[in-house]
Amino acid sequence: MISAHAKDSFDRIFRKAAQARLPVAAGDLCEIAPMAEAGACINRESKVVVLTISSIVFRLLLILHFDENDTTRGYYLNDGDERPFQEVFLEICNLCCGAMNQELLHYFPDLGMSTPYVLNARCLPHLHELKPAHVSSYSLMLNGAVPLAATVCVCTHAPLDFVADTSAVEETSGELELF
Amino acid sequence: MVVIQQYLLAALAGGASTALLAWTAHKLHSAKLTARLRAEAQAQINTLEVEHAAHREALREREQAEQTLHALTAQLRDELMQQSASADELRATLDVVNVDREQWTNQARQIAAEAARLKHLGATFERWHEQMISLMTQNHDMHAKNQELSSIVRHVVIVSLNASIEAARAGPAGRGFAVVASEVRALAARSEELSKSYRDSLHRNDLTTTSTFQDIQAGGKMIAASLASVESLANRFHAQLEKVPM
Repeated sequence: MISAHAKDSFDRIFRKAAQARLPVAAGDLCEIAPMAEAGACINRESKVVVLTISSIVFRLLLILHFDENDTTRGYYLNDGDERPFQEVFLEICNLCCGAMNQELLHYFPDLGMSTPYVLNARCLPHLHELKPAHVSSYSLMLNGAVPLAATVCVCTHAPLDFVADTSAVEETSGELELF
Repeated sequence: MVVIQQYLLAALAGGASTALLAWTAHKLHSAKLTARLRAEAQAQINTLEVEHAAHREALREREQAEQTLHALTAQLRDELMQQSASADELRATLDVVNVDREQWTNQARQIAAEAARLKHLGATFERWHEQMISLMTQNHDMHAKNQELSSIVRHVVIVSLNASIEAARAGPAGRGFAVVASEVRALAARSEELSKSYRDSLHRNDLTTTSTFQDIQAGGKMIAASLASVESLANRFHAQLEKVPM
């Protein structure tokens, strides 16, 4: 149902959004490598943030896997930050998904985005229950020290074909956009 | 006497010749005068004839001009009639257009109002989202209870193991107890399996519930955005119609 072009476009859109929004500082590295299976690096305490972008013909789930440990917390929380880690991380995930949403809006004028929700990563093996037309997982490494993972899952019953142009460089990063 | 007669004759002849001369001179003069007068009269007649011809020509031209003017007037009258007919037609069309415009304005207003009203669907989507949160809270509770159950089952397995050990120590007297302990262990193992399966079901439920409700929530936002765009288009159309002079 999903053409090779569309799969490649989703892949590039995700990579661009992740590299622009997941690092805290603009200069931070974000290495992205494909991963064979969504639940490959799950441990008991791993959690995932789930976000959905809905259009008329498809829905896209962006699932960001994280371990709430000192490394991750240390990276995302500033010294003076009093907010809970999950609140900060959910905002980051929201921005990342928002960037994908913005990019997809060029090709699908009717889109909506959900609010993020945290689940246990052990729900990932059940992803096939959603009968996805396309699933791709990635392992991410921020600044060579903070591991994350991500899964992009697209469900559709209609043929989907588009070619995204992700060459444009985004000028803003990190801060909230005002619409 | 004869001389006198001669004188008289001579005088008479002289008088007669003078008279003749005078008469001839008079005749000549009057003939000249007559000829001059005639020539003058002829010249005047010629002039008058020329003037008359010019006058006649002018009259004919005037008549022609009058005819042309008549024709022009008739043509203009026809054109005026046509113009007024088409003006009436245009006025009628304009009236129809004005009526149409009013209808469009009303329809644009109605569409904008309808779109604005439908935007309140957002509240319905929010309600569904709240229900999802409530469902997820229940799932969370079930996770906790299942974990509790799982820890109880693990405890039962340990107790049944201890019971088996104690039964073995008791020798033949503990044989019956060993059977019971083994049965309890088997039941605990089955409970553990069931608890694991239940946990899996809960995780699956978490994923499907979350993805379904997120789809509803995102779909709601998509519909709200589309309605906002319809509303703005209808308002713009309405504003443009308002700008058109009646």
